[in-house]
Amino acid sequence: MRNKLDPFSLLTISCSFIILLFILLPLFEMVLQPSLESLQETIQDKDVVRSIWLSIYTSSLAALISLLVGTPFAYLLARKQFFGKKFVESVVDLPIMIPHPIVGIAILSLAGRGHWMGDILQALGVRIMGSVTGIVVVLTFVGLPFYINTVKSGFESIPVRLEKVSRSLGASMTSTFVRITFPLAWRTMLVGMIMCTARAISEFGAIVIVAYHPMIAPVMIYQRFTAYGLKYSQPVAVWLILVCLALFLLLRVVSLPRKEQR
Amino acid sequence: MRRVCFFICSCCLFLLFTLSVALQQPKAEPAGKVIVFHAGSLTVPFAKMEKVFEARYPKVDVLREAGGSTKMARMISELNKPADIMASADFAVIDKTLIPDKASWNIRFATNQLVLCYTEKSKYAKEINGGNWYEILQRPGVVWGHSDPNLDPCGYRSLMVIQLAEKHYNKPGLYERVLANRPKENIRPKSVELVSLLKTGNMDYAWEYLSVAVQHDLNYLELPEEINLGNYKYDDYYKQATVKVTGKQPGTWITRTGKSCTYGITLVKEAPNPDAAVAFLAYILDPNGGLKILKEMGQPPFVPCRVPTGEMRDMLPLSLKQLVEVKD
Repeated sequence: MRNKLDPFSLLTISCSFIILLFILLPLFEMVLQPSLESLQETIQDKDVVRSIWLSIYTSSLAALISLLVGTPFAYLLARKQFFGKKFVESVVDLPIMIPHPIVGIAILSLAGRGHWMGDILQALGVRIMGSVTGIVVVLTFVGLPFYINTVKSGFESIPVRLEKVSRSLGASMTSTFVRITFPLAWRTMLVGMIMCTARAISEFGAIVIVAYHPMIAPVMIYQRFTAYGLKYSQPVAVWLILVCLALFLLLRVVSLPRKEQR
Repeated sequence: MRRVCFFICSCCLFLLFTLSVALQQPKAEPAGKVIVFHAGSLTVPFAKMEKVFEARYPKVDVLREAGGSTKMARMISELNKPADIMASADFAVIDKTLIPDKASWNIRFATNQLVLCYTEKSKYAKEINGGNWYEILQRPGVVWGHSDPNLDPCGYRSLMVIQLAEKHYNKPGLYERVLANRPKENIRPKSVELVSLLKTGNMDYAWEYLSVAVQHDLNYLELPEEINLGNYKYDDYYKQATVKVTGKQPGTWITRTGKSCTYGITLVKEAPNPDAAVAFLAYILDPNGGLKILKEMGQPPFVPCRVPTGEMRDMLPLSLKQLVEVKD
């Protein structure tokens, strides 16, 4: 309490306020615009519910895929030094920088007729254009870096010492990971999944090129905005925000360290 | 003394020279900003015209704003946005929205039409022709698409072409059968977005405007005038095609009726810079200027351009009169 007026704390507090206002003001403006009536009407619309559900479902699937293939990769990046590591790390960041429509076109050009990969996919009966598979592929592409980067720093914060002790006592790499590293890292993995899902849910530019139908929520918001105007697109956006907020809040609470562990 | 003479002489010469240059200059060289509102499908040719025109008249700055024609016209009529020139993808929009309050005449200057686009990679690309396209579109495994009729006029026009084909080729039920081979997944919001699907080999055939096909170097099949929505003389025939699209709010519907794709252009009455605007119009409507560019870009122009009545021709600025004919 003594330091209440020292300039540094003043700066931190005022900056925090400005940032919160910056994020919340536009969102509040949007959430408050639609009438309760239109919100109720919108959520009774089967197409809207279906698109929000599809958004959550595909984004979660992208996070799950990131968890399965991204975890070992993140572990490798956190623990090993090798030639060209900086390059590999930059490659992981690429999906964050590439303009979204280009991501969509790039993925489609792999899946097209005349490309060897597209021909194999077609022979296997896998369709990327206009399918849920395609949506999940795009969302994984854009979400993966967020998972890997988060989990990598999580692994880095776990002392290597602990793993070495376990290994020296005769545990295998796998059992060391399962018994020592995982229990210490699962929270960052959960946070990584939240980040990945969050990024995936917001994706629009790449998706609209790969799959307009079936419609995920951001595509439906765009379609409603173009066809009917703001009045009918906003309620959909509000519902998407509310559902995501609830979901992420829940996950954050779950990933919070217990009090006695703090 | 000699030096003084030389100095005076050179001064006189210099004065004479500058005077003569000043006199040679036309009284008012077009200058300033010219604001042009135009249909999205005119973006490529108008961008090129802007470049050429600005090179010719460096004092002019052409500012273009592209969008849906109806929306752009409303910006002038309802929001009173300042604009000098309005070019619409549907000439009737100018008649309906701008005349008489915001404009007094309407020149039809170019056309467009629907074509079926494909690439070498498309299935049955070697077989397709004017007699079998509607059969190929029904074949299993052929992926074809059009843009969303609710968002993009090209979308409902594509459907109209197929409806008209049913009538023209006398094949009852053709429309239903062809559409049955087009899952919803093959629809995209705007027709230009189908181009990337074609080029990446994810789609075999897509409906586009001729201009889009030409500007993107696609192979395309041209269709007879009775069904391609390209000739306004067939407007009465085109009228038979109707497509239901979404209305002002979800759950409501309106019906779109077939009509030719004929571009119209006009000078806005309250144009901020009418002199330069008329100069730009004269360039656009010049057979060796703008019209030539339109032709190269796949938007066949009317040479010369057309106005419906003699009275309308009399209302035109002098420099434009010689560029149009009266033809209904």
